Amino acid sequence: MIRLSQISKSFGRHQVLNNIDLTVTKGEVVVILGPSGSGKTTLLRCVNYLEKPGSGEIAIGDFKVDCKHARKQEIYKLRQKTAMVFQQYNLFRHKTALENVMEGLLIVKKLSKDEARKRSIALLDKVGLGSKLDAYPSQLSGGQQQRVGIARALALEPEVILFDEPTSALDPELVGEVLAVIRKIAKEGITMIVVTHEMGFARDVANHVVFMDGGVIVEEGTPTELFNHPREERTKQFLKRITPELNYSI
Amino acid sequence: MGAPFDISYVFSFLPKLFGTLGTTLLIVGGSLLAGIIVGFLVALPRLYKIPVLKTCSEIYISFFRGTPILIQLFLFYYGLPEILKLINIDMTRTPVLVFVILTYGLHTGAYMSEMIRAAVQAVDKGQVEAAYATGMTAFQAFRRIVLPQALGIAVPVFSNLVIALLKDTSLAFTLGVMEMTGKAQTLGTLTQHFIETYIALALIYLVISFTIEKLLLVAERRLLRHEKQTATERKAFRINKSWSYRRIIAELGPGKGGAGL
Amino acid sequence: MKLDPLFIWTAFVQILGAIPTTLYITIVSVLAGFVIGLAVALIRIYRVPVLYPLAVGYVTFIRGTPMLTHLLLIYFGLPVLIDGLAAHFGWGFRSVSIPMIGFAYISFSITAGAYMSEVVRSGLLAVDRGQLEAAHSIGMTTPQALRRIVFPQALAASLPNLSNAVIGMLHGSTLAFTVSVVDINAKAQIVASTNWKFFEAYLAAALIFWGLTFLIERATSVIERRINLYNRGGVA
Repeated sequence: MIRLSQISKSFGRHQVLNNIDLTVTKGEVVVILGPSGSGKTTLLRCVNYLEKPGSGEIAIGDFKVDCKHARKQEIYKLRQKTAMVFQQYNLFRHKTALENVMEGLLIVKKLSKDEARKRSIALLDKVGLGSKLDAYPSQLSGGQQQRVGIARALALEPEVILFDEPTSALDPELVGEVLAVIRKIAKEGITMIVVTHEMGFARDVANHVVFMDGGVIVEEGTPTELFNHPREERTKQFLKRITPELNYSI
Repeated sequence: MGAPFDISYVFSFLPKLFGTLGTTLLIVGGSLLAGIIVGFLVALPRLYKIPVLKTCSEIYISFFRGTPILIQLFLFYYGLPEILKLINIDMTRTPVLVFVILTYGLHTGAYMSEMIRAAVQAVDKGQVEAAYATGMTAFQAFRRIVLPQALGIAVPVFSNLVIALLKDTSLAFTLGVMEMTGKAQTLGTLTQHFIETYIALALIYLVISFTIEKLLLVAERRLLRHEKQTATERKAFRINKSWSYRRIIAELGPGKGGAGL
Repeated sequence: MKLDPLFIWTAFVQILGAIPTTLYITIVSVLAGFVIGLAVALIRIYRVPVLYPLAVGYVTFIRGTPMLTHLLLIYFGLPVLIDGLAAHFGWGFRSVSIPMIGFAYISFSITAGAYMSEVVRSGLLAVDRGQLEAAHSIGMTTPQALRRIVFPQALAASLPNLSNAVIGMLHGSTLAFTVSVVDINAKAQIVASTNWKFFEAYLAAALIFWGLTFLIERATSVIERRINLYNRGGVA
């Protein structure tokens, strides 16, 4: 279980996150929605300390970090328990697909080379890239790169995988293959927090949808609750703007 | 002025000048080594934004990039013994070559530090984030992810700096060092065949520059084998944010600017 | 020998008089170099037959050899060439009537030309091909498009390199002492040896060069800020 309590963060005088509380149970797929500038990406980046939260507590299982007084060792441990899939993929440019997946296993998890290799190949097979092991990122399409990114995140066997708009840098025709992979691993019961604009995906895959605006969580609930019966005015307006097609399906 | 032009002298001078190539290469090698070490030390405070030291680095770089190497040579040759005399170190017996290597080392160190800084900063920020997200420490991320990529990016500038250094060593003769240019002047005065000596001299420099450039190009190709490599300048006025374009920019960028003398 | 801080000031004042000579050499070589460089860059970009290999050879030779050798070759070679031609064609002109500084002008311009051509070339290549196509699409001729669309953008892109090249030529002008031109460096040498105070004199010269370089960099950043108004948020 992951519990974020009272997470706050400001950039200068601008408060981006204001006392966020969020609980994610094991195996849950949480989708965070919200207009740009609502703080959803910042929240995600706070969970693995790529962004230093101003205050609050992050708890993963029994492991707790007080954000204000986090020590280096705690940050490294927190990062090992989480994994991130980036909007811009951020594959290591000088390493092949296989080496990208192996890197964390070798350096952070200290696995033997053979073991790391075996596991990495299996994961790349799983995301459908068994034939691209030795390709460098510059030789892969955006969709393929992102699938390597997902395999790299899976390799660390984290308690939670954080997806930061994983499909928004992709050409439309490549979105499908990446979402299919995310769907597949969601079914395996891996805990995920996903920031996305893909409403269809949110409806189908999420167990838990969170709507953020202005640095606070406005509303959360099951997809049915949130999409079909939003309580808050701000949520209604956002949904109307971003998914006009929903009006027809209701 | 001088004896009539005779091309055969060019060929007879070539081996004579080659004999002093060792001194030239010693200066290049020695100051390159010193320069890389100095460059790292000077670049670090700027990369990590360490308050006071950062300003010191900036002044250092500004001075060595802001004054001609020729003036620096004289300044160190005449000035260093006087300053060190104040703390009771006697340098009257130190060979000139030491001053020369020291000056070139400090000079090229300023450019090296700019190269290192630019190369490290040119590595995409997302790369470091991805490394951190994997759970790497700052040092691991630097060594495994940033450094290998920065090396590839730095090679074109490095290549330029080495060649600029090679060409700069032609000024060591002003302090009486018998490297290639010094030797050429002696030969010229001796035989009065100035033009032929200087043609021979230029040819040797050209061949060495060319060799250095080609060798480092091979190194760069290897280090950047993960990037798509496109031919430079296939069409006029075509932006190419990839490898080849970066290369042209890098060659001119923070390196020795236009004239490396 | 004892350090004499006051003499740094004395030397400074004496050397100041040589600044114009240094600036003349720098300005002449930069301007002439720019004209040569522009021509060479266009030849290379458009791959003009016959001239193309010559241009490549020129740039390779100049960039691969020290500036000092260019100066020495011109200083010793040009008179032979001129006097030879003069004798052949019966001109009245003789090489002795070339002033010493003329050799510096000619040689440094040739040096600067090669470096400038690289500056110009990289500037032109930095301009998106789409810009030229867009200019054509609204009916401009190629010369119009170059002059109004491509060159201004290329200039903006190459400004840092241009500034580096100017500084390079400023520093390179110290070589003029080899042909007995009294620039800042030569003047420092004279002041140093007549007073037997080398360190002080060269320190003064270094400070002057440092100041001149600083001025060039300042001027560049002022121009850059103006020229790059359209390009806010970072220049490539």
